[in-house]
Amino acid sequence: MKLESGKISGSQLIFLAMGFIFGTSDIVIPVQAARQMGWLTVLSGALEALVFAAIFTALAMRFRGKTLIEFNDMIYGALFGKIISLLYIWYFLHLASLNMKFINDFFMAIIYPETPLVVLMIFLTLICASAVRNGLEVIARCSVLLTIFTIFFYIADTLMLLKESDVSNLLPFMGISWRAFLLSSHRAATLPFGETVVFIMIFAFLNKHTEAKKINLAIILAAIAVSMVTARNTAVLGNLTYIVTYPSFMALRQINIGEILNRMELTVTIMFLSMAFVKISLLYYTTALGIAQLFHLRSYLPLVLPLGAIIIALGMINFDNTIQDIYFSANFYPIYCLPFQIGFPLLSLIIAVIRGIPKKEP
Amino acid sequence: MFRSISKKIQFLKLLHQNPNPSGNSHDFPDFSQTQLTNNLNKNLSLLQDILGHSNDVNIREFCFGNQGKIKALLIFIDGLVDARIINESILRPLMYNSRFIDSGGKVTTDPLREIERSMLSVGNIKRINRVGDIVHNILSGSTALLIDSFCEAVIISTRGWETRGVQESKTDSIVRGPREGFSENLRANTALLRRKIKSPDLIIESRTLGKKTQTDICIAYLKTVVNPRLIKEIKRRLEQIKTDAILESGYIEQFIEDNPLSPFPSIDNNEKPDIIAAKILEGRAAILVDGTPFVLTMPMVLIENFQSAGDYYSRPYYTSVVRIIRYIAFLVGILAPAAYVALTTYHQELLPTPLLITMAASREGTPFPAMIEALAMGVVFEILREAGVRLPRPVGQAISIVGALVIGESAVSAGLITAPMVIVVAFTAICSFVVPALYDVQVIIRVILVILAGFLGEFGIFIGLLGLLVHLCALQSFGTPYLSPLAPLNPSGLKDVFVRAPLWLMSNRSRGMGEWDPLRQAFRLMPQQPEKDNE
Repeated sequence: MKLESGKISGSQLIFLAMGFIFGTSDIVIPVQAARQMGWLTVLSGALEALVFAAIFTALAMRFRGKTLIEFNDMIYGALFGKIISLLYIWYFLHLASLNMKFINDFFMAIIYPETPLVVLMIFLTLICASAVRNGLEVIARCSVLLTIFTIFFYIADTLMLLKESDVSNLLPFMGISWRAFLLSSHRAATLPFGETVVFIMIFAFLNKHTEAKKINLAIILAAIAVSMVTARNTAVLGNLTYIVTYPSFMALRQINIGEILNRMELTVTIMFLSMAFVKISLLYYTTALGIAQLFHLRSYLPLVLPLGAIIIALGMINFDNTIQDIYFSANFYPIYCLPFQIGFPLLSLIIAVIRGIPKKEP
Repeated sequence: MFRSISKKIQFLKLLHQNPNPSGNSHDFPDFSQTQLTNNLNKNLSLLQDILGHSNDVNIREFCFGNQGKIKALLIFIDGLVDARIINESILRPLMYNSRFIDSGGKVTTDPLREIERSMLSVGNIKRINRVGDIVHNILSGSTALLIDSFCEAVIISTRGWETRGVQESKTDSIVRGPREGFSENLRANTALLRRKIKSPDLIIESRTLGKKTQTDICIAYLKTVVNPRLIKEIKRRLEQIKTDAILESGYIEQFIEDNPLSPFPSIDNNEKPDIIAAKILEGRAAILVDGTPFVLTMPMVLIENFQSAGDYYSRPYYTSVVRIIRYIAFLVGILAPAAYVALTTYHQELLPTPLLITMAASREGTPFPAMIEALAMGVVFEILREAGVRLPRPVGQAISIVGALVIGESAVSAGLITAPMVIVVAFTAICSFVVPALYDVQVIIRVILVILAGFLGEFGIFIGLLGLLVHLCALQSFGTPYLSPLAPLNPSGLKDVFVRAPLWLMSNRSRGMGEWDPLRQAFRLMPQQPEKDNE
């Protein structure tokens, strides 16, 4: 009885994790409060997330070949393990619905003001469901192509925006208080980077379990890209960056090369959509896999469509509008996610070390 | 579940009605295991019973031997055999020469063997006593020689029927490279293959498929290069085919392919020996089927559709450009009408203003929305294509004139269709012929994308493309991922995907297929100028 027979390689893990991090951060990153220092807070936030990653990677390496759901039972015992696993499943499901709502809100606000939100959601959910049904290997293969494509777009967009950008927009350096800087760093750490805690469910399917450490490389590379995008947005938009809802999109609107290459923003939305697809698919997959493992099901396939319906419904009732969503991400989410991103992993690691599990093979 | 149970019940009912599902009717006993007796007349009537009294079955009774006392008969199918061989190499030695052979009173232990050895001047001879095998051999063009008081038949290979010779391939013509194509004759095809690869490693295994047609098929592969698991898997799937008829390699393809529910083909076919040889050399296996020039190769990956044999025979630079153009043409072929529908319906702001005004002017007065126009024009084009394919050439021209003038010109001036839509559909049609192997796939994807674009604009197109990507990533062909070497990404395999690297750089066989003998050639084969003499 194996729920997932696929295996992914270390390089696929890197691209999967990068795509996962880009998932929402290519549209918006909650570092607008840091003003000109946004790009630096992204980098320092990534440093903080590396600490999170060190803990949950150590945990995954300790229980090699086991997912979170399986080793929670070993650490906390059957009852408390199941409760914590349920909390995690809720977290993944909630994240999936948040992302689903967010990307579709974006499309509704930008292109389809009169289309009902649920229509867009159903289409994206169906595509994600087909990826989830095909398993981890397919999600990983898609993510490699889509992430390479997105990185190519990042670089091309930035080059095309060089003409419009003004580096003096990035000054003054450290014009904000330390408190605001650290708060903004923490937001960046929890929103795109710390969410990689979901990979604690994925590490079990690596070809070589030691390659779990490559998640650090993915976080660093993604942080550089996201920081570059943040700096570019600030340089292009100036003070407008802190007002507009979708800074990346607004910045890309400014592309105008020889009056021919202009109004390109529609073509870049494909990059937003593809990254959101990677992120939602992975969260969706983890939720389905987690529930199947929790209840010892033989297959997670029957769960996929009902979970999709739940993700849509949850996404619909999450927030009334994008502003609420961003407010939640900036003010509540950094605290809400802490137990999942660092609290439980740290606790689990400490308990596992004290109890000496898993027992070494004699 | 209930459906499957009811299906099973229906199947059982059918079995009940026809107690012998293997196809032999009840009043006709099964002869396949019967053995010959040593009574010639009995054997003759037995074979006549089986072969019926078809008028192409020829039974020639004659006598031979020292005093012409030995009775014998030849059975063969008229038209399948070479009459010259029968007259000159079988009947003449037996009937004339045998009279002058003096047995000298000595009795050989095995007279049949003596006949084989000294009288029949034919290359391929075997002895069989099972009736079923004899009948099978007769039906495939051999001649059976039955001699009185022997319970074995001598099967003499006399195949020789009218075939098409080796001709230029019609479906795949190239500028540079060998012109010959396979024909309908299996032996001639294996010979063409053997002439390309003169190595003992080239194994050609044969078997028979189809209960009624008894079609010969051959599996060809390079013993040292191919993955043994692949051959095992192919044989396993071939054994599962239990059908009456294999008339073309397409029958086999549909029975053994990996993804029967996908529009994408997972087994490639071709009718040129050089291409099949190249694929076998890459570590693939080929299935040759008697009666068709189309040879199957497997496993197949998507990028094979974009490669052409000519790519490897010409120099790499322009070839690489052409290959990229093929990818672009494929994308245009699936995307252009959908993009046009999305642009005119949802995203007018993307168009430059003068173009937008022109298009708006042409749209004025046309009755249908862009999506309906695109779908209708697509259907019209498919009808024109289908009408033109099977018609004789003189009539075909009439079709193209009617299509071009009436549909193209008059429909626009009558105000039924906008002119830009005609341009888009025509260009799409041309583009989709650039990658002919994927033509059918392109049509299907195009329709789906046009509908998505009509309802949801570019979001719909992206959703469709993501779905396509997921589908392609999930496909496999005999254990090889369909998108390899793109997904899973294998950087060394990219030498032959978007560009075609020079041959001296391609030292490795592509991973996933030829990894049992990964090295194709030596390294550092780049041609160099000779070093200058310093004398």
